[in-house]
Amino acid sequence: MSWKIKALKKSVWVFHVNTGACNNCDIEIVNLLTPKFDVERFGIKLVGSPRHADALLVTGVGTRQAAIRLREVYRQTPKPCVVFCMGACAGGTGIFEGGYHVAGPVDEIIKEVDPNAIIAYVPGCPPKPEAMISGVVKALAAI
Amino acid sequence: MKQEELKSRLNEIKDKLIDIEQKTDTRIFLSCEAENAYVVNKFLFKDLALRFVIATGIDSDDCFEILYHFSNDETGCIVTVKAFIRDRENPAIESIAPFLPGAEWIEREIHDILGIDFKNHPNLKRLILADDWPEGVYPLRKEVKK
Repeated sequence: MSWKIKALKKSVWVFHVNTGACNNCDIEIVNLLTPKFDVERFGIKLVGSPRHADALLVTGVGTRQAAIRLREVYRQTPKPCVVFCMGACAGGTGIFEGGYHVAGPVDEIIKEVDPNAIIAYVPGCPPKPEAMISGVVKALAAI
Repeated sequence: MKQEELKSRLNEIKDKLIDIEQKTDTRIFLSCEAENAYVVNKFLFKDLALRFVIATGIDSDDCFEILYHFSNDETGCIVTVKAFIRDRENPAIESIAPFLPGAEWIEREIHDILGIDFKNHPNLKRLILADDWPEGVYPLRKEVKK
């Protein structure tokens, strides 16, 4: 294991990107930080800038307007980084399949920038906070 | 305004309408041609003091319909003005935003996605479509396929 990966997994700082979510996944992500689930005890911390982040928590289907911003946010995130697609919309396109405003699922948008990006998926509409924690743990164990 | 008074006052603009249709006690549809919609809406808003709720744009088979929904809050009655725009090539209707600023954004949205030109609108620019969306493509028109 390279020292970069070890540093990445030590304490994961996450940046939350909403690419057109209905806010349901966002509410569950905020729920992760509340005392009930309190992911800061694992060293997972929400940060305000992608330049400080180890992981991106992406919610929502990639809309045409947000896809450009998502690519830019991904470029600004220090590598290696993990992209978590939270929820059904980000993982596939969910109920927005074929919509006129949809640029594609989040993984396709990210792969346009970096074909070798590390992408993890947590399905659900919205995924439970327990599922999100489990997804993060499994993804980090797999790296 | 009581329900009976509302019904009798609606007869004052009967010559501008195609018909008055009462579906239930609290649901009235007034259909009219696009040219008369401005006068009818102004009458409902200014003279009858109904509250403007929202407008809807529909692509029907042979025409566009703009539905203006007004509420009489005292009785809970919803009065809907159905305006038919027969010209599918250059659909246009008089904007109600000059006397009803609350309709400004919904008219911009209908302009975005159905391509209906609201004449005399104070600020008819793009509202909800993406910045890179091509001009002249209206996503909720029936002829547009993904």
